[in-house]
Order: sequence, then C-alpha cells, then structure tokens
Amino acid sequence: MSEPNVVTVRGLRKRYGDRTVVDGVDLDVAAGEIVGLIGANGAGKTTTVECIQGLRRPDAGLLRVLGLDPAAEPERLRTMIGSQLQSSALPDRLRVGEAVRLFSGRDGADLLEQFGLAARRRHAFASLSGGERQRLFLVLALVNRPRLVILDELTQGLDPAARRSVWAAVDQLRTDGTSVLLVTHELDEAERLCDRVVAMRAGRVLESGSPAELVDRHARATTITFTRLPGPGLTDTGLTALLELPGVTEVGQLGGRVLISGDRTAIAHVGAALAQAGPVPPDLSVRIPSLEDALLDLLERDARADTPHRELTGVLR
Amino acid sequence: MNTAAGRLVRTELTLMTRELLTVIFVFVFPVVTMLIIGGSFGTRPSAAFDGVDPAHWYVASYLTVVIAATGLIMMPVHLASYRERGVLRRFAAAGFPRWSFALAQLVTGLVAIAAGSAILLVVAAPVYGLPPMHQMARVGAAFALGAVAFVAIGVLLGTVLPSARAAQAVGMILFFPSFLLGSGGPPPHVMGSALRGIAGYLPLTRVTDAVRAPWLGTGTATGSLIVVAVLAVAAAALAVRRSAL
Repeated sequence: MSEPNVVTVRGLRKRYGDRTVVDGVDLDVAAGEIVGLIGANGAGKTTTVECIQGLRRPDAGLLRVLGLDPAAEPERLRTMIGSQLQSSALPDRLRVGEAVRLFSGRDGADLLEQFGLAARRRHAFASLSGGERQRLFLVLALVNRPRLVILDELTQGLDPAARRSVWAAVDQLRTDGTSVLLVTHELDEAERLCDRVVAMRAGRVLESGSPAELVDRHARATTITFTRLPGPGLTDTGLTALLELPGVTEVGQLGGRVLISGDRTAIAHVGAALAQAGPVPPDLSVRIPSLEDALLDLLERDARADTPHRELTGVLR
Repeated sequence: MNTAAGRLVRTELTLMTRELLTVIFVFVFPVVTMLIIGGSFGTRPSAAFDGVDPAHWYVASYLTVVIAATGLIMMPVHLASYRERGVLRRFAAAGFPRWSFALAQLVTGLVAIAAGSAILLVVAAPVYGLPPMHQMARVGAAFALGAVAFVAIGVLLGTVLPSARAAQAVGMILFFPSFLLGSGGPPPHVMGSALRGIAGYLPLTRVTDAVRAPWLGTGTATGSLIVVAVLAVAAAALAVRRSAL
C-alpha cells in the first residue's frame, strides 16, 4: 500500500473582502517529494500555504496535512511542520544559539554546523548577512525534525553564492526523505530543486507536472544556430537535408546564420550531421527552453484574453 | 520551564535587558528625574504636598513613572516592532501556543516594572529616605493593578499602531503629559484649575493617587483604586485577545 500524501488539498477557496485570492485549488505533496508552488506575485501561492499551515482559515475546501485538519488543530499541526515564512524576521538582539533553543528547546549544534552557522552562535540576528539569516531560518524550520517543510520565497534577495548554499541545503532534505513545499516565483529555483511544480495564476492551478514535462508541454522549440563557413562544410543540399533529420521541425536562414528548430533529440542528430559534413561551425549554439520559458508561454496563453502580455511577463520576471 | 511558553517568557526577559530604550526609560529616567525633582523642594512638610515631606511625596509618586514608562513606551514599541517585522507570524508558524505571547508580554512588563521600582527605591533610600507605608495592602494592590493596567494598555497600543516609529512617537506624546501632570511633575495643589482638571482624567494620575495617598497616610484613594481596578480588568481582557498568536 502506498504511503498517504503528506498534504492533500481539494477545492481550496479563500477570499479577502470581495477579492477571491484562492479559487478552487487542488494540491498534493507525497512523502519525500519536493513540490514547487510557482506563479507571479498575487497568484495566491502564499495564501494557499498559509491555509496549509493553519495560519489562515479557508472559506471552503478540504485540507489534510500530516493527517490533521489545519483549521481544526492549527497549533498541534504547526509543531509538526517546519516553516520558513516570506517577509518575517527574528528579534534583532536575539542571538543565533538562543533562537535555536527558543524554537526547539535544544542547542541544535549539528544543524548549525551543517549550515555553516556554528561560529555565529553568539552573534545577534541583526548582525547576520542575508544568506546567514536564510540559513538560520532553514535551521529553525528543520530543528524539530519535521516530516514536512514549507519554504516561502526561500532565496529572495540573496546573492548567487548564498542562493547556491541554500539550494544545497534543500538538496540535503531530499536525501533525508523530508517532504518540501517550496513557494517561489524564481523559476530557475523551482526547476533546479523540485520533483514536481504546480503553476498558479489568479488563485487557480494552471498546470502541474515535473519541470521537464512542463517544458515539453508548453515551451517553444529547442533552437540550434550557427554561421555557415565559406569553403568545405555544409552544402545547400546538406542544409535542406537537415529538415529530414529526426526531431527537426524547421530550418531557416537569417543573414548568414542558420536557425534550426525542433525537440531535444534534434540536438544530437544535427550535431552528428554537422560533424560529418566538415569542420563544425565555431559559433554553434544550442538553446534549450527553460521552465521560465514554458511558464511564460503558458501564462501568456492563459492570460491573453484578459491581461496584457507585457504586464504579465513583467510581473513574473 | 522547557515548554514553548516557558522558553518564550525567558527569551523575552533576556531581550528586554538588551533594549536601550527600555534601559533608559524604565531603569534610568525615573531615577534621574526623581533625584532632581525630589531635591528641588527641600524636605520640610508643605501644604502643597498634602502636608508631607516633598522628597517623600516624590519617592511615593515615582513608582508610577516606572509603570508609565513601561506601559506607554517600552511595551508599544516592542510589540509594534515585532508586528512590523513579522516576528509574531514566525512565532505563530513555529507552533507557540496562542496565549504564550500574551503571557510573555505580561511577565516581561511586570518584571520590568518590579525591577525599575526596586532600582528607584534602592537609590532613593540613602538619598531621601523611604517614607513609612501607612496602608501596605492598599499600596500593594494599587501598584499591582496599575502595573497590569499599563502593561495591558501598552500591549493594546502595540497591536494598534502600525510601526515601531509610530509607537515611539505616540508613546512619547502620551508619556510626557502623563508624567508631568499625573506623577512626576508639580503637585496638583499648585496647578491651575484647567491643568488639574485634565490631570484628573489621566489614568496615570489615578494610579499615582491610589499608590501615594495610602502610602503617605494622606487618604485611602478608594475611588482611584476602583478606577484603576476597572481599567486593569478591561485593558487586560482586550490585550489578551489582541495579542493572541
């Protein structure tokens, strides 16, 4: 028998006044899975997660988190979840070691060591860098060894090095078998960390699947570009023949540059054809669409009826 | 005391000692102003001071300056700062019981008042001497009820005001008139009728009256004690609701 979901949400609705923020959301997180909740600002991600944590009472819908109803037993549930919240802080003068003891009753030396904070144990929260603060929040989310960790905008405002260190920490959670619900509008982060992503817009779930599945379903084609060299190399006939290769859907020229579109398998076949024809063009480049490309295309299609494209993409980027 | 609530109370008490605003307004300001004002009118009993030694009159009055500084400055700034920065959400998300933060604030406020008052008396004793306490039970009740009332008012202000800066500004505006008219300023007998009328409506005036009169033996101040008791119960009930996580 398969293990039940850690999180099950069916038909979740939440309104603030006359504004519907979450409108019939379904969401599952299986044991040991890292699920990303993605979408533009205002998509309803944080409200959905706050209902899951029992911080907000839903207007309608069924929620089960670790077997509990968050609205009925919020305090009990919150002690079982590790939470890292968007836009929250600790008291400025609270020291790192004191924070861990406050949240867990123990010193958490192993986690402070693991997250590179052992030497900062006696330093006040206000004196920590942005990356150190986020790592401390991760320590606090994990210190009670929860089965479910909820991370909301985990790397917001961090420099690239700090982001990578936090991502490595989330990878460690995957290894440990902890379930993670990751809320983000950083799509490269979702693509890098998540087993499955759920895309939201205007309070609704638009699409879900693994990052690769979403890219395959919604992104535009993989593109291969290069400049034809004078002399030996690809002939006009050879160029036309590329269209017959598996995975290739389109071959065109713009100025001196060749543009080939297709799926990912086209990369191997075109590469082989170029190598066989002669010297490989030195400016050969391949662009594989990312989750961000896929989501922008998906959101653009969904929003075309009621939202100007520029506004939507501007928010997401 | 290794429960979540116990850890929160202990942490809040520790943090209180690191807050410069608290140290200055609750522990230093009352002592310094008492030493200055208490020595300004001599030690000869005067009608303006209900026929008692003016220095003793101020020693008995200044405990409520500590209460006001805690309730009108320390608590609102502390709480508004927590709300503004999302500290309360973090505590709530970590599963601290709903009532634990209210308890921590009550304990922290009362401990600050007790410590500030103790410092005040320790400094006053060798300088002006401590006046004999005529009705200890009434003084104790008035002091305790006044402390609860002002801690609760402070929590309420902290849950209503939008930011730490706003709380500091409003706190100062409320504190200094209360301090000057209701406790540490000139005695009511030398005030004009308009100022005396305004002073009569200030909660701190009632707390000071309820503490000072039975202490110095100049009256029982039963009316003021009742007002302070009602204020304490009402403000505490509202504060517990407003500060639940």
